[in-house]
Amino acid sequence: MTATPAAAGAKISVRNLKKSFGSNEVLKGLEVDIAEGEVVCVIGPSGSGKSTFLRCLNKLEDITGGTVTVDGYDLTDPKVDLNAVRQHIGMVFQHFNLFPHMSVIQNIMLAPVELKKLDRAGARAKGMELLKRVGLSEKADARPASLSGGQKQRVAIARALAMNPGIMLFDEATSALDPEMVGEVLQVIRDLAAEGMTMVVVTHEMGFAREVADRVIFMDAGVICEEGTPEAIFGNAQQPRLQDFLAKVL
Amino acid sequence: MNIYRLATRRGRAALGATLTVMALLLGAGSASAAVMPAALHQGLAPAAVGAVAPAAASDAKGKTFAIATDTTFAPFEFRNGSGDLVGIDMDLLRAIADNQGFKVDIKSLGFDAALQALQSNQVQGVIAGMSITDKRKLIFDFSNPYFDSGVQMAVAKSNDAIKTYADLKGKTVAVKRGSEGETFANSIKDKYGFTVKALADSATMYDDVKAGNSVAVFDDYPVLAYGVSQNNGLKIVTPKEQGSSYGFAVNKGQNADLLAAFDAGLANLKASGQYQKILDKYLAAPETAKQTSFFELLANSFPALMKGLGMTLLATALSLIIALVLGIVFGFLKVSESRVLRIIASIYVEIFRGTPLLVQAFFFYFGLPQLTGRPLDVLTAGVITLSLNAGAYMTEIVRGGIQSVDPGQLEASRSLGLGYVTSMRRVVVPQAVKIMTPSFINQFVITLKDTSLLAVIGFAELTYQGQQIYASNFRTGETLLIVAALYFIVIFILTQLSNALDRKFNK
Ligand SMILES: Nc1ncnc2c1ncn2[C@@H]1O[C@H](COP(=O)(O)OP(=O)(O)OP(=O)(O)O)[C@@H](O)[C@H]1O
Ligand SMILES: [Mg+2]
Repeated sequence: MTATPAAAGAKISVRNLKKSFGSNEVLKGLEVDIAEGEVVCVIGPSGSGKSTFLRCLNKLEDITGGTVTVDGYDLTDPKVDLNAVRQHIGMVFQHFNLFPHMSVIQNIMLAPVELKKLDRAGARAKGMELLKRVGLSEKADARPASLSGGQKQRVAIARALAMNPGIMLFDEATSALDPEMVGEVLQVIRDLAAEGMTMVVVTHEMGFAREVADRVIFMDAGVICEEGTPEAIFGNAQQPRLQDFLAKVL
Repeated sequence: MNIYRLATRRGRAALGATLTVMALLLGAGSASAAVMPAALHQGLAPAAVGAVAPAAASDAKGKTFAIATDTTFAPFEFRNGSGDLVGIDMDLLRAIADNQGFKVDIKSLGFDAALQALQSNQVQGVIAGMSITDKRKLIFDFSNPYFDSGVQMAVAKSNDAIKTYADLKGKTVAVKRGSEGETFANSIKDKYGFTVKALADSATMYDDVKAGNSVAVFDDYPVLAYGVSQNNGLKIVTPKEQGSSYGFAVNKGQNADLLAAFDAGLANLKASGQYQKILDKYLAAPETAKQTSFFELLANSFPALMKGLGMTLLATALSLIIALVLGIVFGFLKVSESRVLRIIASIYVEIFRGTPLLVQAFFFYFGLPQLTGRPLDVLTAGVITLSLNAGAYMTEIVRGGIQSVDPGQLEASRSLGLGYVTSMRRVVVPQAVKIMTPSFINQFVITLKDTSLLAVIGFAELTYQGQQIYASNFRTGETLLIVAALYFIVIFILTQLSNALDRKFNK
């Protein structure tokens, strides 16, 4: 495995990242460095490329140009063991993507057992601990279909944490939820932030972004239009496009 | 011992051959060559043929020949109550084989199929009440005639309107495809102004007349006479026309030993009076069959039908197992990243979905052996056909099943660091199987029913056995009802079973 030196102190380092779907260029040369323990929230209008950016960080999307370096591994290097890198990056999806044919605890145990990180008993113990952390100990043997949206998303977070990742990626983790369930999921993310997890959070919850983010990135039309502290972004927006966007969502 | 014999026979081929002919003429079935293994014997054949022509006859001794025949052309070949193939051709052939010390492996294929099997060297000879014609002589070598036939006309028992050819004006008559009856009917149809309709076998022809679709049949007199005696519902209304002669055929220039043995045996049987005995058994006074009840029919036909059902299930099971493997392999190719692999899978699917199963069956049984020179037995050819055909549909079922699983499932699994294979095995496939199961059960039923098409290449499955039965007793409707009921019962039981398993395992 080849390791390219990342920017000093950066956990994630993105250089001139480009992504096209056919002739449609969706990301147009992004530059981002994310430090260990930093919480970065990504906001922006629909179709601006937020999800695509996030999916490039664990290479669920093929990268058209530029480099993405995570934990010292250059994801664009064809020799890099992607499966090994992905174990360091947990991802939470808008639609949960729980495995419906497995129980809650089996969902969580799958990766540790298949990747031989833990034996079944160890994986189960670890899984129960994670379930306790997201407040769902009593649902261990339930099928995902029997859970509420908020519960499903909390299980998905527990599953993403099962391999002890150093980085967590959230793609609109609450936007498929009924309003009364948003709070319980945000609380779990908030706790993770407090524990010092490095996180990239794509969100439409401006209040949440303002509260947990160390830094906010505003994307529009495939470029980073403006970035800064929550105070700077929400209190002192410079770009007219950001001002328009905030006027609409706030 | 064998080596010694080989040496002496090689050295004195001409003498050996002459001795054999003498032994044959004396009716001594076991000439010295008879005890020799077939392999050694074949090694000797060229020398013997080169020596004296009739000597070839002796070279048939000890060998086994595959001989094709019609499925049913009573009284020449048909199955009796216990399912054995009998008739003038069968009795003659067996008696000649006995007399000449060779063995026959009779394959009951149907007339057209028998000729195709001969041309593709699937069999070495055909005996099927076949007329010796100039056209056929171009591709086959015929034995001396063993039977002189002639065409007669028959109409429905209740029909008093049609008594002569002149009464046929404006009407349709049924004939058997490729038969003397067809040739004769065509030769007079313009003169008398009727239309000729060619059908595949005698039973169908009689049914066509009884159903009123055609008013009369033209067929060889022994066939008609036998049918009438078996209550086929017809009566003969014209005298016998001057007819042709039947002969036993081999491919032109091939199997001269077999042909010579047939002629020699026929001559022996004629001389001994056995020939006339065989003819009388079927023609002189065919005992008039009494009409049995439906339940007697059921009881009589049951053993043969069960044998057929066994073959149907065997072919279905083998085909489905292979088709499942093909379906999984090509189904995964179809969802693979590689364009080339996807195209390969698509070509396979399009070919086998885009051509009729019947054409595929003919191709694998008759066509392929002609191209490769390696004969395939009928079960192998049938199973290849059904496997490849069902495999194409299975491929689409597998592809559809995998693609109907939310792509987010694979992404979630990959994002955990699980590889493609593990993700497919643990996450995608279990969900796809659940989606695919009803389609699998459906394909299973289709393949089971499709085995009936293999009857046309002479595979002795359920439908074929049914055809055999009504071809000799002429009770088409009742027999087909029994056959259909058997299919229905078996399919009903198996689908219920499959659905129960589906419910149990795919909750
Ligand atoms: N697999 C794909 N194939 C083709 N085009 C795609 C694909 N995925 C995304 N796109 C396009 O890329 C652009 C950016 O999409 P992306 O999902 O990254 O936007 P987003 O900012 O996450 O939007 P939203 O807020 O609606 O989730 C859109 O125009 C979208 O249509
Ligand atoms: Mg998105």
